[in-house]
Amino acid sequence: MLQTSALAIGYKNGGKTPRVVANHLNLQLNAGEFVCLVGPNGVGKSTLLRTVIGLQPKLAGEIQLSGRKLATYHPRELANQVSVVLTSPISVGAMRVDELVAMGRFPFTGLFDRMTDHDWDVVHETLRVVGVEKLSHRYIHTLSDGERQKVMIARALAQEPRLLVLDEPTAYLDLPGRVVVMDLLHDLASGKDKAVLTSTHELDLALRHADRIWLMNDEGQISQGAPEDLVLNGSFAQIFNRAGVRFDPLSGSFDTQNRGSKPVFLEGQGPEAIWTRRALLRAGYRVEEEKLQAFPSISVITKNGTTTWQLEQEGHAITFASIYELLQELRN
Amino acid sequence: MNQSPDSPTSQKTKRLWLFGLFLFLILALFLLNLALGSVSIPLKDIWGILVGKEGVRESWVYIVQNSRLPRVLTAALAGIALSASGLQMQTMFRNPLADPFILGINSGASLGVAIAILGSGFVGGLFLPALNMRGEFSLVLAASAGAGLVLALILLVGRWVQNPTTLLILGLMFGHATSAVVSLLVYFSAPERIQAYSIWSFGSFSGVNWTQLKVMSLVILAGIGLMALLPKGLNALLLGEDYARTMGLNVGLLRFTILLSASVLSGAVTAFCGPIGFIGVAVPHIARNLFKTSNHKILIPAIILIGAAVSMAASLIAQLPGSQLVLPINVVTSLFGAPFVVWVVLKRKRGATSFNV
Repeated sequence: MLQTSALAIGYKNGGKTPRVVANHLNLQLNAGEFVCLVGPNGVGKSTLLRTVIGLQPKLAGEIQLSGRKLATYHPRELANQVSVVLTSPISVGAMRVDELVAMGRFPFTGLFDRMTDHDWDVVHETLRVVGVEKLSHRYIHTLSDGERQKVMIARALAQEPRLLVLDEPTAYLDLPGRVVVMDLLHDLASGKDKAVLTSTHELDLALRHADRIWLMNDEGQISQGAPEDLVLNGSFAQIFNRAGVRFDPLSGSFDTQNRGSKPVFLEGQGPEAIWTRRALLRAGYRVEEEKLQAFPSISVITKNGTTTWQLEQEGHAITFASIYELLQELRN
Repeated sequence: MNQSPDSPTSQKTKRLWLFGLFLFLILALFLLNLALGSVSIPLKDIWGILVGKEGVRESWVYIVQNSRLPRVLTAALAGIALSASGLQMQTMFRNPLADPFILGINSGASLGVAIAILGSGFVGGLFLPALNMRGEFSLVLAASAGAGLVLALILLVGRWVQNPTTLLILGLMFGHATSAVVSLLVYFSAPERIQAYSIWSFGSFSGVNWTQLKVMSLVILAGIGLMALLPKGLNALLLGEDYARTMGLNVGLLRFTILLSASVLSGAVTAFCGPIGFIGVAVPHIARNLFKTSNHKILIPAIILIGAAVSMAASLIAQLPGSQLVLPINVVTSLFGAPFVVWVVLKRKRGATSFNV
């Protein structure tokens, strides 16, 4: 659906040489795909998005949308193909949710914005798809950040775009809110002939939800592929490894690099054991595979629905009711 | 937190009531403006004069026809024009304190008038006939020329300055520069000329005769007509220019039309009535607060009604009914307007009825 060849993006600096943010971009995005553009802060993710939706002129190369050059689109035609959710929080004043979402119909209504029944049907349908139909008579300024973001997505959807582009849609949301939005975006892309492109610096979420990732590095180069491919071929590690931080291909998340030095043995199963392990790592321990007398050993015991932690060291055994107490003891 | 506002239907009913209320207010203020003043005329005779009945006292007929009727119509028109201009500026600049003169339209008009009145002392007779005529039409021409010049400048600069904030700063700087020139003229002028200038700068709805009123209403009608094409575009601008663009709107044309309409409206008022403050900034806020919306499809008719009513009320107060005194219109608008703006700013909840700045 969207294709770029030898695209260069950046800013024209008056008559001087333009500031090139990225060069030689050959990107591709197909219908039905949810693509996440990820990369460290300041590498030019927003610039790329703004360029492919025509808000900012490209420096060189070609952008094709649905097999046609982007530059040949009339603004109104483009509005029928692409709609956006931008990163800046909006302040529309006193406006109801349904009024705001109805603004998504602007490309279809005339000069005086007369809404047909069909237009209102689309508005109500998008409110339902996004799951905010209950909010439709609320004022925008009374919504939470997460609700407002969903409403903005509903507005973009009311434009009935083939390509939905979002710039950092999860930036102001709490963690559950982020997951909900990413789930929603993934669902929007799958099935229909739509595609969704979003920038994000939520790596965990991008790895979990994206069909394809555009991974942008400091030099403005982009590697693309399924998230798993990029993990396995080391692209992630290459881009995000910095002093003290390490991308762990096993867990798909970031760890601090300085592993613990104090050895400890851990036995147990289930989430209790996993979270105990995390706590031990944070406290500066290294979890060993073998039980030895030389260092402490911890057993996670779950009996009748209650969990206790048993610490054996230097021949003594103490039982704790929480990880916190266990850590307190280890520290002493 | 305002969890559940009224349903759209009950909101609609409320708004219809408000529209009705303001129509009634306008009618009442219209009659009061005709009836009250240095001489009080009974309402029944006002009616007689309006429908052209015989047998009403000659002097009353004269007062109403040649003084009070043009004055109240001027007041209504000026109120509408200033409010409409102010609303467009506030939306375009996303700034609740923007007013019709933020781009320096009134500075241009002031400069024109200052040159006409004060400059005539230096140029030696070039503008003297203007003063002698006493008919303020030459002042209107001078003010129009000044306002028109600034208008052209704004439209020109607006084409290549993309950033609204830059435009705002340019307007402010232009205002400072012109007021410096005006100060310079004042500094070297004779006291009676300075007085003539400062009387103009106080603003007045009284100086407009029927011929001028025709011109003024045509210009204002044109400005309002332009604005009537804009509610969709203005609503889109609430989301910002980027969103407006991605919704398929021609933002350049939109901005040009807004600037043209707003400048023509405020320019016409300043030319005929002098620089009149506060109505333009206050009325859009009253409208947003009363109608609880920033949707321009509702705001535009609302500010037309409220603008007319507020301006007619100011005109009535300025006449100090029952006394021989007449207050400058700016004294009235500022005296009531300033506390109002203070109240709006203090009361405003984040994003509640206006913009975050």
